[in-house]
Amino acid sequence: MELAKVIELKESILENNDEDAQVLRDELKEKKICLVNLMSSPGSGKTTTLLALNKYFDGRLRWGVMEADIDSSVDAQTMLDAGVPAVQLHTGGMCHLDADMTRQGVRAIEETGLDLLFLENIGNLVCPAEFDTGAALNMTILSVPEGDDKPAKYPLMYEVADLLVVNKIDALAVFDFDKERMERDVRKRNPDMKIFYISALTGEGVEELAAYLMEKTKEWNA
Amino acid sequence: MGEVRVIEVHEDVFAQNNEAAANVRQLLADNGTFFINVMSAPGSGKTTLLTALIERLKDKITIAEMDVDIESSLDAQRVADATGVRSLQIHNGGLCHIDADMTLRALQEFNIEGVDLLILENIGNLVCPAEFDTGAHRNVMLLSVPEGDDKPLKYPLMFTVSDVVLITKTDTMGFFNFDLEKARERILKLNPNAVILPVSAKTGEGMEALTSYLLDAVSDQQQDS
Repeated sequence: MELAKVIELKESILENNDEDAQVLRDELKEKKICLVNLMSSPGSGKTTTLLALNKYFDGRLRWGVMEADIDSSVDAQTMLDAGVPAVQLHTGGMCHLDADMTRQGVRAIEETGLDLLFLENIGNLVCPAEFDTGAALNMTILSVPEGDDKPAKYPLMYEVADLLVVNKIDALAVFDFDKERMERDVRKRNPDMKIFYISALTGEGVEELAAYLMEKTKEWNA
Repeated sequence: MGEVRVIEVHEDVFAQNNEAAANVRQLLADNGTFFINVMSAPGSGKTTLLTALIERLKDKITIAEMDVDIESSLDAQRVADATGVRSLQIHNGGLCHIDADMTLRALQEFNIEGVDLLILENIGNLVCPAEFDTGAHRNVMLLSVPEGDDKPLKYPLMFTVSDVVLITKTDTMGFFNFDLEKARERILKLNPNAVILPVSAKTGEGMEALTSYLLDAVSDQQQDS
């Protein structure tokens, strides 16, 4: 069994993260790597969603994952066990990744040769939203059990995201989740948000999401 | 050396916060108020659980509640509407935590005379709030069943600093793959003294145990002071 490689990230000393993020974005564009920054609360299903996407990505594009965590390597190991190239990034207690930290991760995985690279950010709806990582696309997951009020309570996350994935829709019957209210709150901040409804567990809606991500990758790498 | 200076600044911040936290704790103890800091990931059910809990406690003791959010006032309003207790909404302007100094400032606005139990509902976040002592007598955290039993592995500090871990939404246990024994083992490995209580605000499971735990803690505090 291949063991997950762990990169201990160094805190970046650069003052202007926005500038640095643009430098990284340009570099990735040049290298034809589409970087997707995946953000959400803890436990909303980031890793499970990536695993579900693999079924559609497998054989159609080269993809990999940088798993960021405070501690532990469980997520990178899960991806590797599924045959997806992955590295584990440790932030050493920090609640977000900035562009320079992302770059340290990219350096550790780019030699694999990738069209699409996910950064699975720290499970958190506050800090990650504040830092541009240099990604081509910001994707956020909202799981049904968390409740329909999250866009109202963590507005910045929904403002910076290009793509919202509502996960665990198989649990809609068990929870009070008002889709209309949620969408209304999202559109208030971000009228152009692309929204997908999926269940990473049952596979519902995953094919459409995979197709969209492959299309975006093709556009970026063109 | 830049690096050394950064570390000193961090230590300084925490040292100052620890002092402010001690002041908060003393102020509340003198007043006979027991103070709990409630933390969790977003959407794990803090507001729902607190509303159910306050409903059970409010005829026995006097409760006040403070809610921290980035900018909305949904939670404080919900708690106040549902329970009738005094509730204060704190907007922290985008920060991912609340520290002891912010608690102290909130307490200056919020008269706590005669309050037996003061509840702080922290920002939904498993990282930053764990790093800052708010001056609470006990840290209470919620881990909801849909989040998964691996959270102690991924957010160890939160579980280390929490005196009480509530496993919430246990009514959905049949629906999600959540191994309660595994969760318990992982929590106790980080924090052997943690009190772990499975609860459901919806079905009422475990609410009796939580209620008596808090009533005991409040009465212990008042006997000591």
